[in-house]
Amino acid sequence: MGSPTLTFVLLLMALLVWMAIPLIPAFMELMRPRDASPLDAVGNDAGNLTYFAESFTARATREGLLGTMVPPRLSDGTAVRTHSVGQPLPVQRTAFDEFIVLMDSEPLPEGTELASECLARLTVRGSANVTYRALLGQRDVYLGPRSVVQRWVHARGRLEVADNSRLWGRATADRQIVLGTNVAFDRLESDVIRVTDVETAEAPVLPTGAYERFVPRKARELGPAYWRVEGGVSIPAGSVLIGSLIATGSIVVNDGARITGSIKAHGEVIVRNGAVVVGSVAARDRVTIERGARVSGPIISETAVVVEAAVVGSSGKKTTITAPIVRLLPGATVYGAVMAAADGLTVS
Amino acid sequence: MSVATLVSVSNVVLWFCIAVLAIYTLRHYFFTLNRLFGRHRQPFVDILQAEWPSLVVFVPAHNESRVVRDSLDALLTCDYPEDRLKIVPIDDRSTDDTRSILIEYAENYPGRVVPFLRDDGIPGKAAALADAMALHTDEVFLVFDADYIPGTRLLKQLVSPFFDPEVGAVMGRVVPLNVGVSLLTRLLDLERAGGYQVDQQARMNLRLVPQYGGTVGGVRRAALDHVGGWRVDSLAEDTDLTVRLVIAGWEVVYQNRSECYEEVPETWESRIRQIKRWAKGHNQTLRRYLGALIRNRSDLPFWQVLDGVLLLGVFVVPLVLLAGWLCTIALFYAGYPPQWGRITILAISSFNTVGNFAAFFQVAAASRLDGSRERIRMLPFLFLGFLVSTVSVGRASLSRASWLRGQPVQWQKTERHREARVQPRNK
Repeated sequence: MGSPTLTFVLLLMALLVWMAIPLIPAFMELMRPRDASPLDAVGNDAGNLTYFAESFTARATREGLLGTMVPPRLSDGTAVRTHSVGQPLPVQRTAFDEFIVLMDSEPLPEGTELASECLARLTVRGSANVTYRALLGQRDVYLGPRSVVQRWVHARGRLEVADNSRLWGRATADRQIVLGTNVAFDRLESDVIRVTDVETAEAPVLPTGAYERFVPRKARELGPAYWRVEGGVSIPAGSVLIGSLIATGSIVVNDGARITGSIKAHGEVIVRNGAVVVGSVAARDRVTIERGARVSGPIISETAVVVEAAVVGSSGKKTTITAPIVRLLPGATVYGAVMAAADGLTVS
Repeated sequence: MSVATLVSVSNVVLWFCIAVLAIYTLRHYFFTLNRLFGRHRQPFVDILQAEWPSLVVFVPAHNESRVVRDSLDALLTCDYPEDRLKIVPIDDRSTDDTRSILIEYAENYPGRVVPFLRDDGIPGKAAALADAMALHTDEVFLVFDADYIPGTRLLKQLVSPFFDPEVGAVMGRVVPLNVGVSLLTRLLDLERAGGYQVDQQARMNLRLVPQYGGTVGGVRRAALDHVGGWRVDSLAEDTDLTVRLVIAGWEVVYQNRSECYEEVPETWESRIRQIKRWAKGHNQTLRRYLGALIRNRSDLPFWQVLDGVLLLGVFVVPLVLLAGWLCTIALFYAGYPPQWGRITILAISSFNTVGNFAAFFQVAAASRLDGSRERIRMLPFLFLGFLVSTVSVGRASLSRASWLRGQPVQWQKTERHREARVQPRNK
């Protein structure tokens, strides 16, 4: 046993075993694959904010929840509770984990917590301090002050959210979303989204000839009507820039100016009163669309977007605002979608 | 030359090799840590609604009758507005049924599928794309190889970065479809995950140089015109275009969520051919643009220039590695053994840096980010892929074709193995 050869062989064997340890699970996986299918590509819910609402509608239809007789249980055994003028939810019980069907427009008791999905067959009139896990309204939905939506809400008509509410996840409506002040949100989508029910006039887009032509100085031309400027650019009031502009500093589009293409700034972008950007606005820093301005294309910021009483998109040209932080002020009007990756809020 | 001189030269070369490999190693670690702990930068992924620009999707095909139907069917089911989308499959001198299949699709989908049929001119993907694109004035061009199967929302996702006027090109993520076929396909699946989920996305996060990969991506027409169009004598038209765009001040964007299925090589012969082709093309681009990239450093951020140089040099690393090994052996037999620390650094660094090979730690991080827990067990087998890649890339890098400025090109394609039709997949 004391022979050097034997010691060597034993050590060698120990070393080989030691080295082979990582190969054991590798060989096991090779022989009996447990994870050899292709990775899932982007799911159906990505890029479709109404995916959950559509799935839920299909389920509600399948379960007969839209029929004349609402079943007492779903096929998975979940109890179904209805709420109506004749049979309201008990006020003394504030939390409900049953599946709730709102049969008519009888307001929910104040402070109710709905821990399961909720289907509203008619217009919803939510009271204050109601918490919804997920809500599908077959008509309009009015959420009272300090309401909370935990996952998603969809209105087949108009969605109106009162002050100081919190919309986690997705808030969508087929027709219109109207938000009060101090409403926190993540993702919104509708034909038109307004903050407070104030109509904001669109800044006029006059013929190009009505403006004084502006060509950025010391700009590098990347193509026909495609400019790149080292540093910041200020587009003079009442002038027009025909084409698209990239600046490594900030861009200010002054009062009443017009840009026929898109703009991108490595710094900040400010679109002032009455100014119009026909294309998109992109910035690494903050984008501010001031009162009376108008942007037709998407607004993309890697920091924050602030929209005052201005118009983004149009009824015939839906668009998207996307940024980690989004602030919408009263009068802000967005046709399309607002995506706040970290923090969306309407402010007064 | 005296032994002492040889020893000195070997030591200098060895230290140079160690320095180069250490830089690549640091880069890989940095990228991986960025992906694990850094901010995920994807500013365009949430653009859901917009007035989408006019788009042409090119599908270059040369003897692709086995797979091209799947690709066209998938493209036809995409949710891009029909009035703004044209699908242009390009048949370049196919000798199989590819052309008749394209004509059949053109008849079935008039106005939507508009084939471009080539019988002459310079062969090759770049030349085919150049000829086909010359006929279209649309704003954005996307390119899919004929074996790629996009999901329904992929076109919008890939087009959305072009709303930023600084973006010249975009690249999506390639996901192997035939993962479970063989050991090689499983290794390539891991390698792709590391390369895209970590390497490409980290470069996107850090504003470095994400690479347009020639498929599952596209280019803005204005940017393509600005940099002079496709170089038809390029073996790697994708890398060539990436570097020219960056030098000209355009941004290249990688979108990790824009995933598309591809068929990876199922045989080692096919894989070796593929990686040798990549190495030759990459080295050709290195020779062409290294000087321009460095000369342009005043217009570009330092880190972007550095990353561009490292990106271009990635297929030279196996040569550096082999040179390091040779110097180590030479020094050892000359009686001047290098310190063990140096060998250790060399071994670790080299393992993590060769060519297109996604290093262990990158792959592990990528698997974690992808949420796939079991496939990581295959990690030790990557050593096999590493050896094959090192030798193949080394041989390709030593070949004369790797370093020629311009040369006759021909269709270089990966062998297809698909037998049955594949439907577009979504979760």
